[in-house]
Amino acid sequence: MAIFQKLAGGPMAVQELAGTLPVSRPAVSQHLRVLKDAGLVTGTKAGTRRLYQLNPEGIALLRAHFDQVWDKAMRAFEKSVEQPKTGEKHGTDRRRSRRS
Amino acid sequence: MAQIAEEAVVRKSVRVQVPVERAFSVFVEQMESWWPADHHIGAQPFQAIFVEPRVGGRWYERDAQGNECNWGTVLAWGPPHRVTLSWHLGPDWKFNPDLAKASEIEVRFTAEGPSTTLVELQHSGIERHGEGYEQLRALLDSPGAWETTLAEFAKVAR
Repeated sequence: MAIFQKLAGGPMAVQELAGTLPVSRPAVSQHLRVLKDAGLVTGTKAGTRRLYQLNPEGIALLRAHFDQVWDKAMRAFEKSVEQPKTGEKHGTDRRRSRRS
Repeated sequence: MAQIAEEAVVRKSVRVQVPVERAFSVFVEQMESWWPADHHIGAQPFQAIFVEPRVGGRWYERDAQGNECNWGTVLAWGPPHRVTLSWHLGPDWKFNPDLAKASEIEVRFTAEGPSTTLVELQHSGIERHGEGYEQLRALLDSPGAWETTLAEFAKVAR
């Protein structure tokens, strides 16, 4: 995608990005916001402007991914654990698994 | 690197109104009752998820046809207070057997009362799944792929 590739060349401000792409500045800002939410891009203040750059390690992206997975999982766990007891799971499979 | 390692940790905690034994048991023995059904690595949805109750035990899913897919290994087993699992699935939801590329999930269960349990989960070493990230980035860099992939990310990140 264009914004992502542009930023691969170094940090850029919204104005610069919009100037080199055939899209409007609000569209660029919106894309940047999605990229930021996904942890792919970070923004830093440089004077009056905000410079956007790729998050090179991608750690934030990975973290966001697992954070979301566990958020969902733990909410479901909370719900499941507080329900009345459920029956034995999968009969022999379960016992075999327990004893193995 | 220390900073990256610190960032690459996900911590979640939840307080549940059940005894510690039940919290532990539902977590490891009835995982399929709460694990998000869309997060499976087999071709088919899982029917059951197993954590073998011993150090070195397998953690795996099984589908209705009996096909099994490994998720990880039991690294520490201390019922009903603690379980540690290695996680071998990158963000691409593919199994990587290399322990050096696996992250670690430690879950602690603390009884705060006869029927109140604090469950604290820590998923650390996420940076070791960096290879998966490179694949994701390659996808993002390929023309046309970006829009759909990012739409997925956006859904995930929210």
